[in-house]
Amino acid sequence: MRCDIAVVGSGLAALVATRTLQRAGRDPVLIWPGLSSLYFLYATVDVLGYANATTAQPVEQPVTGVRQLIADHPDHPYARAGLAALQDGSSLLLEWLREAGFNWQGTLAHNLLLPTATGTPKPSCLVPTSMVAGDLQRDEPIAFCGFDGYQDFIPELAASNLSRAWNGGRRTVTAVRVPVPGIKPDRLLTSIDLARSFEDANFRRDVAGRLRRAVRNDGARLGLPAVLGLTHDADVHAEFEKESGRPVFEIPTLPPSVLGLRLFDRLRRHIQETGVEMIWAAPAHQAEVANGRCLRIHLKSAGREQPVEARAFILAVEDAVDGAWRAGVQTVRDPFFHRLLAQHANPTERTDESLFQPQPFAAIGYPVSDRLQPIDEDGRPLASNVFVAGGAIAGYDPAGIKARGGMAVATGYRAAQEAMAA
Amino acid sequence: MPDTSTGVVVIGGGSTGAGVLRDLALRGIDAILVEKGDLASGTTGRSHGLLHSGGRYCVNDLAAAIECVEEGRILRRIAKTTVEDTGGYFVSVSPGDEAWEPRFVDGCKKAGITCERISVEEARRREPALSTQVRTVFWVPEDGHLDPFYLVIGNVESARRRGAQVRTYTEVTGFVKNGNRVAGVISRDTVTGEETTIGCQAVINATGAWAGFVARLLDVEVKVVPVKGVMVVLSRRLAHAAINRCHKPGDGDIVVPGLSVAILGTTAVKVAHPEVLPIESDEVRLLIEEGAKMLDGVTTARAMRAYAGVRPLYDLGAQAEGREMSRNFAVIDHEERDGIAGFASIVGGKVTTYRLMAERVTDLVARRLGVTTPCTTADVPLNDREDEMDQLRHRPAQLGVPKPHGEELALQPLLCECELVRPQDVEPWVTDPAVRTLEDLRRRTRAGMGPCQAAVCSYRLAGRLVTDRGLDGRTATRAMADFLETRWRGVRHVFWGSQLRQAQVTAGLHLELFNVDRQLQFEGDDPRRPSLFTVPADVEAVGQP
Repeated sequence: MRCDIAVVGSGLAALVATRTLQRAGRDPVLIWPGLSSLYFLYATVDVLGYANATTAQPVEQPVTGVRQLIADHPDHPYARAGLAALQDGSSLLLEWLREAGFNWQGTLAHNLLLPTATGTPKPSCLVPTSMVAGDLQRDEPIAFCGFDGYQDFIPELAASNLSRAWNGGRRTVTAVRVPVPGIKPDRLLTSIDLARSFEDANFRRDVAGRLRRAVRNDGARLGLPAVLGLTHDADVHAEFEKESGRPVFEIPTLPPSVLGLRLFDRLRRHIQETGVEMIWAAPAHQAEVANGRCLRIHLKSAGREQPVEARAFILAVEDAVDGAWRAGVQTVRDPFFHRLLAQHANPTERTDESLFQPQPFAAIGYPVSDRLQPIDEDGRPLASNVFVAGGAIAGYDPAGIKARGGMAVATGYRAAQEAMAA
Repeated sequence: MPDTSTGVVVIGGGSTGAGVLRDLALRGIDAILVEKGDLASGTTGRSHGLLHSGGRYCVNDLAAAIECVEEGRILRRIAKTTVEDTGGYFVSVSPGDEAWEPRFVDGCKKAGITCERISVEEARRREPALSTQVRTVFWVPEDGHLDPFYLVIGNVESARRRGAQVRTYTEVTGFVKNGNRVAGVISRDTVTGEETTIGCQAVINATGAWAGFVARLLDVEVKVVPVKGVMVVLSRRLAHAAINRCHKPGDGDIVVPGLSVAILGTTAVKVAHPEVLPIESDEVRLLIEEGAKMLDGVTTARAMRAYAGVRPLYDLGAQAEGREMSRNFAVIDHEERDGIAGFASIVGGKVTTYRLMAERVTDLVARRLGVTTPCTTADVPLNDREDEMDQLRHRPAQLGVPKPHGEELALQPLLCECELVRPQDVEPWVTDPAVRTLEDLRRRTRAGMGPCQAAVCSYRLAGRLVTDRGLDGRTATRAMADFLETRWRGVRHVFWGSQLRQAQVTAGLHLELFNVDRQLQFEGDDPRRPSLFTVPADVEAVGQP
């Protein structure tokens, strides 16, 4: 097949790149290798939670933090993408979310501090409106609410941790549990089951009534697992707040995470419905380069290889999560140019001895130029019309600084700009 | 004055110590078992879980092979629910192996091991993953899979119901002597540091690879040679039955399927200390290469983790080293050998023969105590009460419940989806005072042993620690982090292929969705140094299974 610009990937970087191209009037094709971090690891778009992986001090103003990060680390993916790409990409994303039926808010000027399912405050930037009432910069007490038989959010654990961590233990945090109406306690109850049930007005009213009786503190906000609707979540949240008579906020849970599922499902559906061609579940590999340009890549579609020709390519594969890298025992290679991205005498070198420290494997990726082109040892682009976005960029490790969404948005947006100019 | 008194103190909570405790209890002898870590946390829980038919030993170690034959049959009777009756194959893949075949067949005959040569075609029909290199196949129906954790817990619970006591995380630091007679042990709680003296008439040292350290407290020598073995866990079974290489036992010559995984075994390296068991990348690579000679799919299956265990080989004075040493065992009567009355050691052996080892040493001690009640452990099943099935927390598969795609179970909640662990399997253990870490809970329930390596169930279990056990969030979160760290230490050794995806998801969940790294930092908890309600650092060995 032949197309204008081919985007390979299924994470937020790939989606933002595709949307950027679409908005600019180009005709992108999205090659979607499979489930991505969008499904497993997203709830919010975190831009910069902490200035580095070890500090305890959250960043208050993400835009200022990123500007400083760029100044201090000119090789950081944020620096490669540039602050403007983060700003423009974020505006584009928020507008897109609105258009796709999401209710999101936030600005780069300000981080919210939202409690996680372990009751840990976490700085987040762009967030669903259904999470905003959890902001710990507000004073009202919090009641975490769980459900009997539902294991993926434990209100008691969250309450115990948050009551220590929040403002030196000077705020009131409680935990309640209510039975799930109409569901036998010995039945498997997933987030998706609950989210579907919450779409039903009777169910919602019933739960709201139970919570009104269970939460004694009249001034408290209610923190629920993120199960407030699967497809009509904005309405479900608004109505549930009305019915329970209190501010309500959602908290991301163990997978299946409904927040990630909503994004994953609706963004890709929206982009398809607005005319972008998508090729499903087809891992791409093998870039054919001639005279410094990539002519085509190949898709491993069912039964046979299919070449895809394009004027430019955006590789927004997500290193580990979508299995793009060919990680052998000692070497890690990329599937397009067969570059040696990393070499280790012992695979343990790819990890820190602690799971909670920065992991060397996360940083494995393509070294890139200032235009996000993958480059060789001498800094020359491997192909002038190929651009990298997201986790495939070397040194890309959003975990410690809590910047997964922001880095995806900035690099996806920038790669799209470069691809259009190529 | 001792703080408490009993008839016999058993030191060591592996299969041998647990077997001894049960044997004593069945003979009506009062006993307390002390273990410095958790039950089955040393050699037993780090075995590959092969219930030996004896085939592996029948050429070089006939006595050990004969014991395996008999004990295997007994275990199938008395510990039915801990045994998966897989059967096994011995396969030749090289001309050297073929030369070994007549000796193997002869050995099986001498040891009384059922062994039948079958055609390669028939073998491949039964085990489609057998590699094309396989030239000859022997079917050995009495190989099996033995769940080492359930075996130990089953013995201990059976003994406890008869009045025996168990103290885990309790280390013996000294002995009380009355002249030349041992009159008690001094023990220390490894978490609180509290010292307790337990008065007794006899002490049985069933500490396996640690037996020399315990004996030294009485200034006597027990020469145990700790020999490390590394194993790799694959996320799929690959085969129905155990696959052995038909040759002189060597490195990487066995694949043991158990429940949903397969374990590649093993290496043999003499080590200086039973708790220093580094896993070398060469060992891991060798296990995979050698395993692939027997089974297809070994190189492409996802390796989930590597771990190391230590064999407690007893130096019988022969010139042999490492794998050449006998897997036989010995009872040491220290009264006769060293003039110390009331002290006996049981050394050598293997999990398959734990019951016989326990019987022999208990025979000696019972005789010295003047107890004439005979041993009944070969006849009385571990499950000798109606509620036993429940007590042992059997896995759904063993209860005959359909797999998750069957309707019945699909509707039931699972706390650990990978290993099909239900909330009711976990509930009794969450509040058990003997459970001090989530690793302890794993050993009793298998939660966290599957492909996601506790990424998901660790959060749910931490929740249980708060709701059911009443721990605070900090301690529970710390326990969750420690659990993940222990799993991570094994994962790191096989960090390639799709393992990277799993690791990215695990890290993303806990660092990004939960922000647990900052939670630990806020509380000043360094996950690299386990503490709190958890295992002290000196008990922690490298690479737990």
